[in-house]
Amino acid sequence: MHNMPSIYGINFLEKSMLSIIPETVIIIFAFMVLFLTFFEKLAKRKNSYYLSLIGICFSILYVLMLSGSNIYGFYGSVVFNSFDVFLFIAILFSGMFTVLMSKDYMENSEMPVPEYYSLILFGLSAMMFLVSSNNLIMVFLSIEFMSICAYILTGYIKGNTRSTEAALKYFILGAFASAFLLFGAVFIYASTGHLNLYAIHSFLQNISYADSISRSGGMGIKVYISVGLILFLVGLAFKMSLFPFHSWTPDAYDGAPTPITNFMATGIKIAAFAVFLRIYSLIYNFNIMNFNDILWLLAVFSMTFGNIAALLSSNIKRLLAYSSIAQAGYILVGIIGGGFYGYSGTLFYLFSYIFMTAGAFAVVVIFESSDIISLDIKRYSGIGYKYPFIAASMAFFLLSFAGIPLTSGFMGKFYVFSSAVKSGYNWLVVIALLNSAFAAFYYIKIIVKMYMPDEEPVSIIRGAIDDGLMITIIICLILTLLMGVYPQIFINFANNSADSLWRI
Amino acid sequence: MDFFIKYLLSILIFFPVVSIFLLLPVNKKNEGILRNFSTFLSLVEFIFSLYLFIYFKQNTYKFQFVEKFNWIPSFGASYFLGIDGVSLFLILLTTLLTFISLLSSYRYIKEHVKEFVILMLLLETFMIGTFAALDVLLFYLFWEFMLIPMYFIIGMWGTGKRIYSAVKFVLYTLSGSLIMLFGLIYIFIMHYDQTGDFTFNILRLYNTHISNGFQLILFIALFLGFAIKIPLFPFHTWLPDAHTEAPTAGSVILAGVLLKFGVYGFFRFAIPLLPSAAFALSPFVIILGVIGILYGAFVSIVQKDLKRLVAFSSVSHMGFIMLGLFAMSAISVDGSILQLLNHGITTGALFLFVGMLYERMHTRQIKDFGGIAKKAPILTTFFMISVLASVGLPGLNGFIGEFLILIGSFHSYPVLTIIATSGIIFAAVYLLWMFQRVMFQDITNPAAESFEDMNLREIITILPLVALMFLIGFYPMPFLERIDPTVLHFLSMINHHHKAVYNAIKLKAGLSNA
Repeated sequence: MHNMPSIYGINFLEKSMLSIIPETVIIIFAFMVLFLTFFEKLAKRKNSYYLSLIGICFSILYVLMLSGSNIYGFYGSVVFNSFDVFLFIAILFSGMFTVLMSKDYMENSEMPVPEYYSLILFGLSAMMFLVSSNNLIMVFLSIEFMSICAYILTGYIKGNTRSTEAALKYFILGAFASAFLLFGAVFIYASTGHLNLYAIHSFLQNISYADSISRSGGMGIKVYISVGLILFLVGLAFKMSLFPFHSWTPDAYDGAPTPITNFMATGIKIAAFAVFLRIYSLIYNFNIMNFNDILWLLAVFSMTFGNIAALLSSNIKRLLAYSSIAQAGYILVGIIGGGFYGYSGTLFYLFSYIFMTAGAFAVVVIFESSDIISLDIKRYSGIGYKYPFIAASMAFFLLSFAGIPLTSGFMGKFYVFSSAVKSGYNWLVVIALLNSAFAAFYYIKIIVKMYMPDEEPVSIIRGAIDDGLMITIIICLILTLLMGVYPQIFINFANNSADSLWRI
Repeated sequence: MDFFIKYLLSILIFFPVVSIFLLLPVNKKNEGILRNFSTFLSLVEFIFSLYLFIYFKQNTYKFQFVEKFNWIPSFGASYFLGIDGVSLFLILLTTLLTFISLLSSYRYIKEHVKEFVILMLLLETFMIGTFAALDVLLFYLFWEFMLIPMYFIIGMWGTGKRIYSAVKFVLYTLSGSLIMLFGLIYIFIMHYDQTGDFTFNILRLYNTHISNGFQLILFIALFLGFAIKIPLFPFHTWLPDAHTEAPTAGSVILAGVLLKFGVYGFFRFAIPLLPSAAFALSPFVIILGVIGILYGAFVSIVQKDLKRLVAFSSVSHMGFIMLGLFAMSAISVDGSILQLLNHGITTGALFLFVGMLYERMHTRQIKDFGGIAKKAPILTTFFMISVLASVGLPGLNGFIGEFLILIGSFHSYPVLTIIATSGIIFAAVYLLWMFQRVMFQDITNPAAESFEDMNLREIITILPLVALMFLIGFYPMPFLERIDPTVLHFLSMINHHHKAVYNAIKLKAGLSNA
């Protein structure tokens, strides 16, 4: 399939362009938003907001139009198949929620507006490139593109030391991660001679086949390639915020503007996991080294550390940041479980994760003001009676994080855990289940504050709630409930997507 | 009408949800309407559930009112409902107690009435669903979500250390349930590996062959989930806190229905799925049950708080039920299922009386009461009947259940049964002594001088329960003849397994002709 003639078709340029249409649309709209700054009359807050929403909707439209097709573009370095359809929709949802949340947030601050939205759109396109990249250089380029957008957006609140500090920390650690990633890619290239993932896949297949016949050959290559794969894994683990490489997460999440925190927690995490899933299923699954054991450790440490740290934090953004580290651990369980069932479960979990996270962050935006005390969970005491709908949705999202039935979180956890049991990782599942019981404590702690206040609730002065936030909350609520009660539609969707992962 | 009977279980499960949507538009301030309307709706639900009783075919162990639809084919889960003799009565108990607890809360629940009635109705949906589900995943979904409304009820309307109790309740049961989930998933995967049949249908999972060693491990996993809910002796610590701090309605539902889920889980899932392990471990479970009987009784004797006393008496009573269930003779299992109903009725009634006393005196300390019999003769009479039913006086319901359990288990565990019997004597000690201190003696507390007797609403609340105490006490046949076929089928099912395993062992040892 990756042999030359099929790529050099007659109309290969058209095919190449077709394979990146959803990204292109987003980039075009990003430039349009950016050009708005040239015209003072048009550079109003609202215009750029609506323009970005329209761009995202167009992109979703193109993704749906292209769904079902299987296109290789640019000499096989970009792939568009149903795996991408699923994840593009997930990422575009995340971008849409970020934009919807931003309007209210930006109105209360002094930041330049059109640039902000165009950076979100650029970041979005980078995530989509990352998901569809099928080439080590392409992976590196899109990760860098995505990260640079994220660095700028993290430090976007001018003059705020927390935001600046967060951006600097994120940048320095992120640069290290990129170096690891690049170094790993170099090792892989040096030992296999290929950059295309499919080519590497078949190369490794040949090696392990030769290995099974004669035990002697290929030792030197094996050392190089395992070093390369480990370094590459480290680079990606930074983006997935797994345990030993998580240290940027709480600071960056806390310092960034809240919609951007949502963008990092949903978009970046999903894109990183998606590309990891693709790479892992293609080039890690040979008996060069047992990577499942490494992931086992990463998953267990991420869950345990994330939950303990979340338990100790009283700032809601930090709490959600630590809980996202724990969630990354649960998602990893699906990848370790492996097989069709496990990958489909991972995708399902990722999809459900967007809606609960975006919903929770939308509620955080509602109650946030410029001073940091507004992020303390004590501020949430008594809102259950003042804002019944919003508090009930927040409680529902938190229960979804905790994995209580009727929510998408339960179905996702159930899916990945049963795939791991199926592959025989019993202890991992037991640890993960104990962790989720433990995690329930701090999610419930917030619900206790909302509904069972000890002291008189702090009076929260708050005008009318922005439509964008309400729309976000309602969409998230409906989808979280739907995926918890009748997940079959989404499972079919995820199955389709996981299916194309197998078809090489 | 055909449609109504055919989908009766679904209607029972979702009618409370529909009721919630009917109640949502009502203004928060219209507390009277909210109370009356929700009570009326729960009464309608109870009347609907009586159709189950009327149309239930006795003399068969087969599941009735079966409904089956595809739900999540990818997980092999289906929307599969059905009831047998055991779940029939537990559903009836649920609908009755929900109605009673809503009726009993008119005075106790003073604020956030709307939230309260909505949560109670939501809880009812999930309780009925748990008893009716025959699909493991569906069962788990109902089972686990049930915690959330109960948590809010304890935390929002409780007294004293309500938040601590509510959080402890949730975390304790949640941890148990998650370990149980692991066991259930494991059995599901095992069944899939053996048969290639991807299903959560419990009736098919019964046919899974599991080696004895695995059975022990999986039984322990399921055991943790169910034993915490019961609660069996070392896992009981959440119960006194939750019961004591919960509002009256919460305690009634907690004692009357929620505790039954653990035993029901053993009956429906743990024992039939893992029969060899259940046989092997039954002496240990029975020992825990007997320890629970004595421990609950001893701790009850020294309690100063009225509600805590009743809560610990629950631990003691649940010990009897476990003894009966794990003795695994037809009579003892019959008795223990009947005792499940009895415990729901009598302990529910006792909690209602504690609630009435608390509403009037604003205290639960036994030493603050005294001499109430002179002021409130009606209350004293009914309270006396409930206390005697709980003690196990012949002619009332408690006697029938305990008697069946004890004669049924004597054959296999004579010593433990004799020890357990002493629990009845201790029950008489703590309950009658408590009754004497609360109701008789001289009035010491000035608040008791203006003690009002029960009003009409409270009499209506308690009357169905007292009527049931007499009915089961004098004529338990309508109940037993519906429970019997199910219990016999249950025993034949596990014995069949057990004998098959036993024969296999004999063959291996070369003793097949021994």
